[in-house]
Amino acid sequence: MPAATAPSPLVLIPRVQTRAYFYEDGQSLLEQDLRLEYGLARDLSVSLDLPFYQGFFDAPRPADGEFGLGDLETILELRVLREDLNAVDTVRAAVFVGAELPTGTADFGGNSVDPCAGGVVTAIFGRHGIDAAARYTFVTGDGLFLPIFATDEGEDFVNLDLGYAFRLLPTSYGEERVAAWYATCEVNAILTIAGQSEVLLSPGLLLEAPNYAIELGLQVPVIEDSQDRPALRLALVVGLRLLF
Amino acid sequence: MPKHSLRHATLLACGFSVLAITLAQPSCRTTPVTTASTESVRGPDTLETGNYTLVVHGMSCPKCISNVELQLARIRGVSKPMIDMKHGFVTITVTTASGTEPTKPQLASAIADAGFSLIEIRSGDPK
Repeated sequence: MPAATAPSPLVLIPRVQTRAYFYEDGQSLLEQDLRLEYGLARDLSVSLDLPFYQGFFDAPRPADGEFGLGDLETILELRVLREDLNAVDTVRAAVFVGAELPTGTADFGGNSVDPCAGGVVTAIFGRHGIDAAARYTFVTGDGLFLPIFATDEGEDFVNLDLGYAFRLLPTSYGEERVAAWYATCEVNAILTIAGQSEVLLSPGLLLEAPNYAIELGLQVPVIEDSQDRPALRLALVVGLRLLF
Repeated sequence: MPKHSLRHATLLACGFSVLAITLAQPSCRTTPVTTASTESVRGPDTLETGNYTLVVHGMSCPKCISNVELQLARIRGVSKPMIDMKHGFVTITVTTASGTEPTKPQLASAIADAGFSLIEIRSGDPK
């Protein structure tokens, strides 16, 4: 989910994330997501996000490990609030605009340029962190004939994300240069204007060091009311983020 | 049906906004950088050779260390900093040479670029 944190000027943060989706009837999908974030100015950053897919669905959806690109997403984010309360506690907010570009192949992406806009608030108080984000995507095309994700339906949709992180270790920061372990939990909701919805509960673990971060997580569907897509049972997430 | 879904989305978005506004009401504000304590470095903007402690607010995660280091490293005459996240202290060594004296505005700008607030510049190591 988005966060109101951004790379500082001229800093590049590459991130790779692998997701394995497991659907009904033994179908599955492997997603390799490459994301680049770059600081343009003090409170302004840009990001590019390109997913690669390998499908193991029943035909006629991509089957037998068929490979394809997803839609390239580009986002421009502007931090509009930074309220640092003491050494550690802080509240930040950012707004963003962007678009999904039709780079998808093999039925893994849309065929239209879909603009989006949204906002995110991040608050950290001691060992507790909260993220809340909302985003509206204007879908200008017809969507996929055989949708895989809730966002493939060809209807405008809203993403609502709420995340909580608890710092397990260290319990208190000191002068040492240490990594931190977090337990995380997110609720990721997608609501289309056609009335379909998907809500995922996403617990996880995050290890964050000064120059890298590793995340491990699960995604479990709580609400999934589409008849057009394969029903998701579970997703596993592994991610690596570097800071240059 | 579509209207229902959109209404739910709007309500949830409003809920998030209320949460955000509530969280953004701090019980106490940070001391502005212009309010210097007796230990603060006074006088001209240019810093002389020596150790300094920057009091920085908002460094809440290990990644913050790298952000601060990267931005301070771009100032000539400032050595690699030591960071105490618990107290928000960033200790630097300033080495001046002809034409390379770091200034207080440069330090404040670097800390702001890193995404944090410089509250105070003290001479010497943290006490």
